[in-house]
Amino acid sequence: MSLESSGQVETLRTSSITNVISKLIHDPMGAVGLLIVISFLLVAIFAGVLAPYDPNKIDILNKLQGPSLQHLVGTDQLGRDTLSRLIHGTQIALLVAVVSIGLAVLMGSILGAIAGYGPAWLDFIIMLIFDTMRSYPVIMFALAVVVLFGPSLTTIMVIIIATSFPTYGRLMRTQTQTLRKSEYILSAQALGIGTPRILLKHVMPNTIGPILIVASMDVPFVIALEAGLSFLGLGVRPPTPSWGSILNDGYTYIRNSSWILFSAGAPLILVTIGFTFLGEQLRDILDPKIGRGL
Amino acid sequence: MEGSPGNALEVHGLTIKYGELPALKSVDLSVGHGRIVGIVGESGSGKSTLASALIGLLPNSAKITKGNILFDGQDLTKIAADGFRDIRGHLISMVSQDTLSALNPVLTIGEHLIDIQFRERIGVAEKRKRAIEALQSVHMPDLEERLSMYPHELSGGQKQRVSIAMAIMMRPKILIADEPTTALDATLEVEIIALLRELQKEIGCAMIFVTHHLGVVTSLCDDVVVLHDGIVQEAGKVREIFLYPQSNYTKNLLLCDPAHIEEKCRRLPTMSSPYEKKIENKDSARRRIAIDQGPILQIEDLVVKFKKPFALKNLLMRSKPAEITAVDGVSLNVFKGETLAIVGESGSGKTTLIRSIIQLVSCQSGAITFLGKSTLTKDLKDLASIRRSIALVFQDPIGSLSPRMTVEGIVKESLHHGSASIKSKPDEVVRLLSLVGLPAAFAYRYPHQLSGGQARRVCVARALAQQPKMIIADEPTAGLDVSIQGEILNLLSELQDSLQLPILIVTHNLNVVRHISDRMVIMLRGKIVEQGSTEEIFSNPHHDYTKRLLASNIHPLPGS
Amino acid sequence: MIKYTIQRILLAVLIIACAVATMFIMIHAVPGDPANVMLGPRATLEIKEALRAKLHLDQPITTQLFYFFRGLLSGDFGFDLRSNRPVLDIIFEQFPHTLILVTSALVVSTIGIPVGCYAAIHRNGKFDRVVGTISVSIIAMPAIVVGLYMLLFFSVKLRLFPVIGAGDSNDWLDYLWHLTLPVITISIAWIGYISRIVRASMIEVLNQNHVRMARAFGLPESKIMSRYALRIAVLPSITMLGVSVALILSSTVIIEIIFARPGIGSLLYESVLSRNYPLVMGAVLFSTIFIVAGTTIADLANAALDPRARKEAN
Repeated sequence: MSLESSGQVETLRTSSITNVISKLIHDPMGAVGLLIVISFLLVAIFAGVLAPYDPNKIDILNKLQGPSLQHLVGTDQLGRDTLSRLIHGTQIALLVAVVSIGLAVLMGSILGAIAGYGPAWLDFIIMLIFDTMRSYPVIMFALAVVVLFGPSLTTIMVIIIATSFPTYGRLMRTQTQTLRKSEYILSAQALGIGTPRILLKHVMPNTIGPILIVASMDVPFVIALEAGLSFLGLGVRPPTPSWGSILNDGYTYIRNSSWILFSAGAPLILVTIGFTFLGEQLRDILDPKIGRGL
Repeated sequence: MEGSPGNALEVHGLTIKYGELPALKSVDLSVGHGRIVGIVGESGSGKSTLASALIGLLPNSAKITKGNILFDGQDLTKIAADGFRDIRGHLISMVSQDTLSALNPVLTIGEHLIDIQFRERIGVAEKRKRAIEALQSVHMPDLEERLSMYPHELSGGQKQRVSIAMAIMMRPKILIADEPTTALDATLEVEIIALLRELQKEIGCAMIFVTHHLGVVTSLCDDVVVLHDGIVQEAGKVREIFLYPQSNYTKNLLLCDPAHIEEKCRRLPTMSSPYEKKIENKDSARRRIAIDQGPILQIEDLVVKFKKPFALKNLLMRSKPAEITAVDGVSLNVFKGETLAIVGESGSGKTTLIRSIIQLVSCQSGAITFLGKSTLTKDLKDLASIRRSIALVFQDPIGSLSPRMTVEGIVKESLHHGSASIKSKPDEVVRLLSLVGLPAAFAYRYPHQLSGGQARRVCVARALAQQPKMIIADEPTAGLDVSIQGEILNLLSELQDSLQLPILIVTHNLNVVRHISDRMVIMLRGKIVEQGSTEEIFSNPHHDYTKRLLASNIHPLPGS
Repeated sequence: MIKYTIQRILLAVLIIACAVATMFIMIHAVPGDPANVMLGPRATLEIKEALRAKLHLDQPITTQLFYFFRGLLSGDFGFDLRSNRPVLDIIFEQFPHTLILVTSALVVSTIGIPVGCYAAIHRNGKFDRVVGTISVSIIAMPAIVVGLYMLLFFSVKLRLFPVIGAGDSNDWLDYLWHLTLPVITISIAWIGYISRIVRASMIEVLNQNHVRMARAFGLPESKIMSRYALRIAVLPSITMLGVSVALILSSTVIIEIIFARPGIGSLLYESVLSRNYPLVMGAVLFSTIFIVAGTTIADLANAALDPRARKEAN
């Protein structure tokens, strides 16, 4: 029995997650993205410790000041320290993003997998649900819901979940459909392996990649959505500091102090860059034609 | 620089590298006017690189480091891109292997044929007329209709005819055919080769035919060049080379081709041991096959139909959607220790048949019994245990392995029957891999890091891990080089000899069937048209289709 | 093609019906009297009674749904109490401004197609790398930030562009001047997005066998690019443009408010602030119909250009 030569093929002994992270770090875009994301996560968790002032502490005498040694990015119209408000705003932004997207991914993936794997009539109904929710313009839908049910953080999260889950659902469905016909799923069935185990060991690992990528690209969008709603006064109630409400303050006082507006936009831009870079790099790594493939 | 006047094209010392890796090493080639030259080699031999170089479509990563290609008074390795563009499609034409992707999916056939004529200063009506003539010359049915059809509406054979029509339409001096029939059925292959021969005579062009199929070279080509590892092993007239090969490689290649071996072998020669073959011993065969025990697998009157998806038309006309009968009342038996081959072309229903045995496809009527129990049971536990006792090896070796599992994980899954509670001995996986001839290090590889042959071995290892009572192999040699086919077949024979394992093989490769199977069954459009012992059928076929099939098995020995 | 068109339009109608039904369910999910919800706290008892009779609110849910639908089909999107005019009339008054904004943004976004194309052809060249980094950075830049920054720099600080309004509708130059910043704000992200999609798609197509075969026949590069490569590579971006209608329409709310432009977005916002429920529902439903129309047109365009898409539907 002849043996075939091993050639120059690299053998992967390490687990795939550590492998992915190391590849991320090696590329400049990925490293930057990862750095930004981790920084924001840390800021959100340790907001109370990092913020120099109480975000709600009013100090009328020092209102609308530019950057100084005491207030690194200045103060707003009530004399509150903008930087502290921004730091606390990070908590809200990331909380909304992580919870809403997490639940939307869960809901969408389950429905999408059922739609892709199950009978045709069920697929039709689920797709109809997806298409219906996708036809609502998000902010307008949000406004309608807020008008009916009143503004609150929970309302925002429900709105986001309701309008985002179709995206993940469709993605999961397309992947499940392709997978369903693939020979390795058939092979697993031919081995006598039951459906739940097939879904867990064969379907999920192969579909979760793209979904994670889309989810990470969605984070800045969701954060912007929350900011937008708060900007319109329909999100978190004052005086809770959301980036959106700070932006609104900046907009209102645009001629007095451009610093509020300018500094409120900065974290939004950074978060966008961070998650987008991370998502793009993840996509390049997980794409079989470029990343792990030869 | 001029080549000799008798030659349409000459290649001198061509060396091509992909980065640091050489693909062609100092290759020489002469193509005489009006001659058909076959370039024979296995995968990785460099023959596709050579074909690409001759038409100037090497990928960007390839560099011609030495040598030249002389054509029509020019050196093709030195001319500018514009210059080469003038030659392509006009003086040198190409037909490629992949019929599926060679045509633009958003253009109709007519648009393809008219586009090619962009150099001609004639009106569209005239171009259309020429397009129809071109399709006529490749014997395309329903001409007018075809012109406005899209590629995906055509069958594989028809698409290939269109590609050929496009290639010969401008009456080139040289036609390069890069494995044009590899993906086609045997009977279709015969037709396309006859077509190429006819067209070549008509136009009088020289043809370069790249293939790994020695039989095709014998039936079509005048001269042959044997390529291995980027080096020309030998070149000359087909008759001389194949009857009196000089180089070791060619000798071994001819020795290993299952089609070349007259006697029925139990162990075929392989490239590493080309002189070892074990001819089938009739007595041991009789002892091996346990006829008196009754069939281990029994299929009776199996019918499998597919419904076409519900269309708007059905709603409007209140009709039921049409049905396709894939398997139409098939009955067959397999005995312990024997190998039964199911032979048929694409669309014959053979794949559907074997998939329905373990209910991967549901059937409408009929009975299937394995070891006395019905495999069409509704009970899920029984079905799971039946699936575990029958090992199915799929046609696509890499595709049937889960992309994100290592070889070790895949084999372990089979060992544990998918349940988490069974613990196996740590070196079970290594033992199974060595049984199929793979070193232990392969356990850590992912499917995309395996070659076709290696992946197929992993599939066999996985099948063995099930400790099956029967193996069903769907096209076990498809896509494999001739030299590796023997290894896989020997592996199966060894298993059968030691375990008395019944094997059901589905294939369209008659040369494989001749050696490895004891009995065979011929399927056409869902029905069995003939069955019997392999020897009987090969020497004395009854049904017309069987005769046609055997005739289309292009015999590799020249002069036969 | 006709078969596919009919199927697609039927599906669109079904989706709109479901969207309307969802809205209906939401209205009824609010605790309290639906008449209150739909008319707001200002409505008098008489008006509420009239509405109750018209919508048959005392009858079972399914009957109500039927009358709701019937009303919509006859163009009755509700009645605005404040101005005493049908909601649909008010919407039609404001909508043209939004329509112009959305259409201009879509048209400007198509710049992404040639940009992506060029980047793909000269892959890894300077143009590709520069454009690549820029577009990746700006792709998901939220419209709210871009809009506000634009306002800050170009309008307030540099005084180059107007701060408020849509300008004089009769003077198209003035109108265009007012339109500039909002359109740039919206299309910046989309140009980046579309160019990435076209680039990826183009690279994939250029590697495919039929492009290689077209070259094998000596076809001129220009023809190969247009007929054999671009025509196929563009397809995903057409679908994307269809999807983008929903997202662009969504962001017009913020944009119209930031730049104080008239349009369905600011209409909606004002209605929300003043709790003008009929107007809110009407505006959302109208936008939904517009979006479904947009995606349907994009799908039909895709099927017209790609014969394979038609086959799958059948």
